[in-house]
Amino acid sequence: MNLLRLEFYKCRRRKIVLVCAAVLAVELIWIGAFFTRQDAEDMKWGWMLLLYNLSTVDAIVLPLSVATLASRNCELEHKGGTWKLLETMVTPVQLYDAKLAWGALVLAVLLIVRSGLFLAVGIAEGFSGPLPLARFGLFTLLSWTVSMMVYALQQGLSLRFANQAAALVCGIAGSFLGILSMLFPPALVRCVPWGYYGLMSLVFMDWNPVTRVTRFYWRWPPVTDVVLLLLWAAVFLIVGRTLFVRKEV
Amino acid sequence: MNIIETHDLCKQYGTALRVSHLDLQVPEGSVYGFLGPNGAGKSTTLKMILGLVRPTAGSIQVLGHTMDRANRLSVLRQVGSLIESPSYYGHLTGEENLRIVQALRGVPERTIREVLQIVRLDGQRGKKVAHYSLGMKQRLGLAAALLGYPKLLILDEPTNGLDPAGIQEMRELICDLPGRFGMTVVVSSHLLSEIDQMADHVAIIREGELVFQDTLEALHGRSRHHLALRTTNNAVARSLLAEKSIACQEEVGYLMLPILSDEIAAQLTRFLAESRLGIVRLEERQKSLEDIFLELTGKAASL
Repeated sequence: MNLLRLEFYKCRRRKIVLVCAAVLAVELIWIGAFFTRQDAEDMKWGWMLLLYNLSTVDAIVLPLSVATLASRNCELEHKGGTWKLLETMVTPVQLYDAKLAWGALVLAVLLIVRSGLFLAVGIAEGFSGPLPLARFGLFTLLSWTVSMMVYALQQGLSLRFANQAAALVCGIAGSFLGILSMLFPPALVRCVPWGYYGLMSLVFMDWNPVTRVTRFYWRWPPVTDVVLLLLWAAVFLIVGRTLFVRKEV
Repeated sequence: MNIIETHDLCKQYGTALRVSHLDLQVPEGSVYGFLGPNGAGKSTTLKMILGLVRPTAGSIQVLGHTMDRANRLSVLRQVGSLIESPSYYGHLTGEENLRIVQALRGVPERTIREVLQIVRLDGQRGKKVAHYSLGMKQRLGLAAALLGYPKLLILDEPTNGLDPAGIQEMRELICDLPGRFGMTVVVSSHLLSEIDQMADHVAIIREGELVFQDTLEALHGRSRHHLALRTTNNAVARSLLAEKSIACQEEVGYLMLPILSDEIAAQLTRFLAESRLGIVRLEERQKSLEDIFLELTGKAASL
């Protein structure tokens, strides 16, 4: 707990809140712009349309945002050459875990606030149907899990390379692949870590080419996809942590 | 009692043996100068002592404990260090930086103010470290190492990059520590003059090998006196000296002779004058620490 508290202390004046606010602003503008272009017929899908689009926006916005957060937290150690001081007081494993826990908490708060914000938007817009609180809760949990998988990858890169360009380029590529992967066949999407934002979506769209009618429907993420997601996370965690622990300062 | 002992310590990177069979013995309460040219293996050795770099072979004892993975951090609780360059968070103030170290070391909060006073940074504690000068950063690094008043302080090139005033200030601070707080200080440097002014014990390392380890006094004792003779014709003088069985060698226009008694020196000058050679200079010289360092390391020391 002491190390986790210190991670927050170290991130003072690192504009972490600003990064999170920017993520929320981009998502809000994006979704807002989307809904202003919908007609009454489309708006009847209300909550489903919102969650479907949030998954899409997540796939674009979150990979780069997660990369930025991980980089902000790890860069300060490289910049100040603090590894050789810290590792005389704590083990590299403890350091890695504290940074991961910091990322987990920041992302959890960000995504909970994000969900609360869009719930409020939905209520304000007067979306029809009962308030899908449980589905929003699950959506938040799934977004957080995918983000943590990506965070483990980004933290590994940010810790490994002092120059944060590598990690940030990976984040940019992730944002691009995240949205592009939605056009891939499902089997291929499973091979793209950032594609899980779309793969884990609770709402799917069915477009009938004959009637040209679009239909949205709720669905539970397949267990195999959840297992694969956890597997990706485990691989990034184990590899990132091992490389960090083995590195001599 | 030795506060640090290494036995047969080695570090190999690829095929290159950077530290080779090092047996260091650092006496308690001393200022131990660890001297060597750049790239000699000083930092690698100090990092191995701190457990930041894994030795390829050999063992390390610190404060009477053989260092291993299990006890490393508990032993290091009594060790402060400043390796290569100071570690700091530029976006935090000096005091905030020390608060992080204080929390990790688990030492009382009041020590932050105390160490800031010791390194004379008390007036700058609220300033972001990014705005500190290099000398101030170095002093902050020393303050972080001093937190909790450890028994052993390991300082790797603490004066690197400092201006002459900064070097003197840092030197004064370091020299003060054993007397004031009963600390043992290991200080590495490639600056011979620095070690000469700070240390009472010295080890000299060359290409990873220990070439000297003893008191500074013993190192000074190695400096031999000799006579330097300059004549109007050194080549002829040399052959005449050989006839008299006086060994000599020529160095930059001088013939270097062993110390001779006054009587023999007088006879010698007379003999050379009778041989129609003019004596331009005859002076007694002492081998400098610089010469000894050069002899031991094969490299020129920075002064």
